[in-house]
Amino acid sequence: MGGISAIGNTVAENRTSLIKGTCGMGRLEMFPSKFSDRLPVAEIKISTEALKEKLNAFEPGITRTTLLALHAIKETIADSRLTNEQVSSFDTALIGASTVGGMCLTDEMQRDAQKDTPGSEYLASYDYGSTYMYLQKRYSLNGPVNTINTACSSSANAIMFGARLIRSGKVRRAIVGGVDSLAKFTINGFNSLHILSPDLCTPFDEERKGLNLGEGAAFLILEREEDATGKKIYASISGYANANDAYHTSSLSDEGIGPYKAMRDALVSAKLDPAQIDFINAHGTGTENNDKSESRAMLRLFGKVPAFASTKANIGHTLGASGAIEALYCILSLVQQELYPGINFKNPIPETGLEPIPTYQKTALTHIMSNSFGFGGNCSSLIFSKA
Amino acid sequence: MLAIEPSYDDIPPGVLRRMGKSVRMGTGAAMPIVKNNPKPDGIIIGTANSGKEDCVKFLNQIIEYDEGLLTPINFVQSTPNAIAAQIGLLTNNHGYNITHVHLGLAFEFAIIDADMMLNENPLNSYLLGAVDDISNYNYNYEDKNGWYKKEAFTNKPFYETNSPGSIAGEAAAMFLVNGNRSGSIAKLLAVDALHDEDESVMKEKLQDFIRKYLPAGERIDLLLTGENGDSRLLKYYSICESVVENNVSVARFKHMSGEYPTATAMGLWLCCNILQNQSIPGHMMKYAAATTRYKNILIYNNYKGIQHSFILVSE
Repeated sequence: MGGISAIGNTVAENRTSLIKGTCGMGRLEMFPSKFSDRLPVAEIKISTEALKEKLNAFEPGITRTTLLALHAIKETIADSRLTNEQVSSFDTALIGASTVGGMCLTDEMQRDAQKDTPGSEYLASYDYGSTYMYLQKRYSLNGPVNTINTACSSSANAIMFGARLIRSGKVRRAIVGGVDSLAKFTINGFNSLHILSPDLCTPFDEERKGLNLGEGAAFLILEREEDATGKKIYASISGYANANDAYHTSSLSDEGIGPYKAMRDALVSAKLDPAQIDFINAHGTGTENNDKSESRAMLRLFGKVPAFASTKANIGHTLGASGAIEALYCILSLVQQELYPGINFKNPIPETGLEPIPTYQKTALTHIMSNSFGFGGNCSSLIFSKA
Repeated sequence: MLAIEPSYDDIPPGVLRRMGKSVRMGTGAAMPIVKNNPKPDGIIIGTANSGKEDCVKFLNQIIEYDEGLLTPINFVQSTPNAIAAQIGLLTNNHGYNITHVHLGLAFEFAIIDADMMLNENPLNSYLLGAVDDISNYNYNYEDKNGWYKKEAFTNKPFYETNSPGSIAGEAAAMFLVNGNRSGSIAKLLAVDALHDEDESVMKEKLQDFIRKYLPAGERIDLLLTGENGDSRLLKYYSICESVVENNVSVARFKHMSGEYPTATAMGLWLCCNILQNQSIPGHMMKYAAATTRYKNILIYNNYKGIQHSFILVSE
């Protein structure tokens, strides 16, 4: 595994911060924006130039999104102890996600789009696939490389696609995950929908005002069980599902039809009963709409909702990276048999009475569910189980 | 090459007027299929540049209004999953819904996804398709990067222009796929992809593909290629033609569709037509061999010299 977010540059740093209940939100500093002082964001405090230095990545056209992905994937591959041959092998896939892609270069993108401006070095970098094409080249990958974009559930779907490729026998292993960097484009976009909170976000709280955007990247390496003997196995993916809410392009149905179906189908695929889920890493963006719909769906499916929390209160909403970073956190919980506090929460939504877990706790855990719900009604749910 | 759009009677006008071009074309192509068949169990779409037009419209707003209060419609329409989402929304489809965006292989991965879904759920059916559109904006990126012809020309000598670049195209192609032989128009036998600029690697991959997937004792009756008038890419198409036997007909389609990342979806649509009608329009033929019947068709496409796709289709 490997990951980077506003609360840590490595998996270990992330874990330390989660235990402490660190909030990664602060002032936007990496690029100028009217919103720097008005909206908290979970920014990784390493400049794009510093990332290039650290990663020895000076190719023209390289974007912050790609650099963050490279940072995380480096840690992932080192942690996996896979040989270079195995990484480049035709039977190793790389399935990634991004919703921002090269659009983090908002001003350059706008300028290049005009007919009479000369092209910048980023002309081929604006799309979502170029990060993974870069990684393919850098690591000489010969296996399948694909990019998925289903808004906020993108990396959950990337993890699912990688798992299915292995299950179908098409590949033996898959590097799966996602990345997104902060961008003027997304800040303005979410702001125009009035779902950004001017304060620190408070998932599932009755006074919640919206989400805080974040950036980050995380990757996992999935392998077949028979190939993993003798290796350090963190967890297994025991179930997954993808369903569509089909209600509105940018909000969820009140009852949370899509979330309910994704969670329920994930349980079916894992052959588990709701009561067997020990913890839910909720999508929990802190918006009025998501938290209410997700709560209603959880209540309808579980009756007695298991312990849950949203780490978006720590790292913000990392969009295309969220499914992957949050998967990483679920796996950390399983490995360490611990749960991290749901921070910045005061009072439950009156209708539901649901409260995220308040404190750090060491506890027996076998199965954890992780939810990711995005624009376009794209709902995904993954279930991880103790190795 | 702009698409000739129909009147989209299946899309409610209030919804239609807010749609970006990709969403409109994709939904418009999908609706007749969804209306006339049992509800598919999922929607699997490939697209590379869908939403770019709305994206840059939103960016222009950001600049013009200096990050003031902006209207969200362009932002919401700028996400590539808007096509699959909109189709799901209009047809109340709660099933599997996904969008693959890996540029010139976006449609190929959509096919692989659909194939895996059908293996996992043999009784299901899925809406599978791809869309890409030309907008002023993404045209400018590609043009500045040298992917379009600089000189003026007409369609007829398109393939003989002997200069770099192609022409921009756009289209939506949608299919209903299931594991059922009966009632089907075509059978997708195999799909594979390669990311490499080296011609010899491409040649080996193509040879392996044919060896592995062409049923024993059968032959390829037609090679349909994505040759696009870009002189820099001719070497790949020459290799492809040399690998396939001498007496195989070769046809091309990008003089009709133009060049765009998910053009192979159009190629697949044409294959279905050819298999159904057992004929190919003269203007598509590069070499017409003496073929009595079209049974197995190999589609080869190359996107920007680096992403290669191989698709084998049969009756």
